[in-house]
Amino acid sequence: MEYHVYNRELCVGTIKVTGVASSSMILVGDTETIQLSSTFDTPAESLIIGPFVPITPQG
Amino acid sequence: MLSRLSSVQHLRVNINSFSSVIEIGDSTFVNSFSRALAVQREEEFFYGSEGNYNYPVFKEPIRIPPLIENVRINRQNINPVINVSCIRVIGNAAASVIHIGSTCHIHLESRIKHIRQLRERENTQT
Repeated sequence: MEYHVYNRELCVGTIKVTGVASSSMILVGDTETIQLSSTFDTPAESLIIGPFVPITPQG
Repeated sequence: MLSRLSSVQHLRVNINSFSSVIEIGDSTFVNSFSRALAVQREEEFFYGSEGNYNYPVFKEPIRIPPLIENVRINRQNINPVINVSCIRVIGNAAASVIHIGSTCHIHLESRIKHIRQLRERENTQT
């Protein structure tokens, strides 16, 4: 596949963003490859109803 | 051939926290990784050192679709300027990046484990 790009002037007035969070990005510029990946899980056992037991510490 | 030129008049960022980056200028690689335990408790209890990263969500591979098409990119920067007059960001958190300038490769990854702890409910159906 041939892909021709002719970049001319690009003018943006104002960019207002509330939050840039968890490995996301604001890029004003050029790039070749972008790989953004995100994973999270909230399976049933993450919902604990009952006395507050501290989560087991590391190691 | 000239590479792109980014020009920003005003940049205002209120909070830049949790290993996040504001880069003004060009770079080659941008690589950031974030893993978090999001615990929501119905009462305010802080036990100090708790939590671990032994959950599968922090270990499982994230499948990224392979690039199979053979794409030949021919880029001509006739007028390479990118003009932005004002950027206003309230929060930049959790290994995020605000990048003004060009780069080549960007790889950002975020892994979050959610835990919710609720109080016991008295059964009201009597």
